[in-house]
Amino acid sequence: MFQVIGGRSVQAARVLAPRSAVLVEAVRGRKSRTDPVAKSKVGRIKVPPPVDPVEMVVLKERYGEYQMIMRALRWQKVYAVLEFKEEMLRKKYEEDTGSLAEERARQEAQEHRVLMDLNHLENQRILKLTRTRAARNCQRKEKEILKLQEDVKNFITLENLDQRIEEALDNPQNYNFAIDKQGKVVKQTMLQ
Amino acid sequence: MPRYELALILKAMQRPGTSAALRRTVETLMERGAIVRDLENLGERLLPYKINKHNQNHLRGSYFLIDFYSAPNILTSLLDHLHRDVDVVRPTVLKKDDQVSSSNCCGS
Repeated sequence: MFQVIGGRSVQAARVLAPRSAVLVEAVRGRKSRTDPVAKSKVGRIKVPPPVDPVEMVVLKERYGEYQMIMRALRWQKVYAVLEFKEEMLRKKYEEDTGSLAEERARQEAQEHRVLMDLNHLENQRILKLTRTRAARNCQRKEKEILKLQEDVKNFITLENLDQRIEEALDNPQNYNFAIDKQGKVVKQTMLQ
Repeated sequence: MPRYELALILKAMQRPGTSAALRRTVETLMERGAIVRDLENLGERLLPYKINKHNQNHLRGSYFLIDFYSAPNILTSLLDHLHRDVDVVRPTVLKKDDQVSSSNCCGS
């Protein structure tokens, strides 16, 4: 039936309502506008709660002071935040374009140059190593190719085939032997 | 090309039969583009156990070793062909590793 109101209607109602109370307004509950008043409420006159004038004056003074102080503090906080932001911006600006910044930039450039030189030397050293390694590999590959070319003469071809088969059948190989540390054959099983 | 070794166990036959089987095998290899390097005979020996192949029980077999260079994709078809050959008891293709350098051999 009674509902707490908030929003734009608050400002208007605040003028009429008592100062220290929460704003309430009558709200249509179950009955509509055209329904008659209930029998128990026929001669009812609504009386607001009585206001004590002395209490009213005292409260008004105290609340006035309190709200003044709170408002001042709130605004101070806002100003403090703004000042802080300004300081930060100023510091940043000084860092970027102040006198110290130039010195630092110069030092950094020097360091960069030194490091680049070191890097250059390293690269040259490694290039030399790579070249020697590549040459070594080349030589090894050449040796292998020569060896293979020698071996090619012993490979089996269609012409050699019969001859090689006869050779193989005539000479059975036996790999079942044991050797000692010097590489001499010690034991050998016989072919059955 | 990678280097392989065909360890071939042929049926214990007379000389003309064995040589014919070997000739057939090498020709199969060459047909598929392999380069046969060497053919070794490890003798006719008792097999380690009875092998039953092509509806025959084998107790003795002749062992041969063929090393060849070939492409890896022919191996499956080659093995298939060898399994179907009646004179072949067991074909095995192995990869041949490079010679290990015996310079820093442990234990010597």
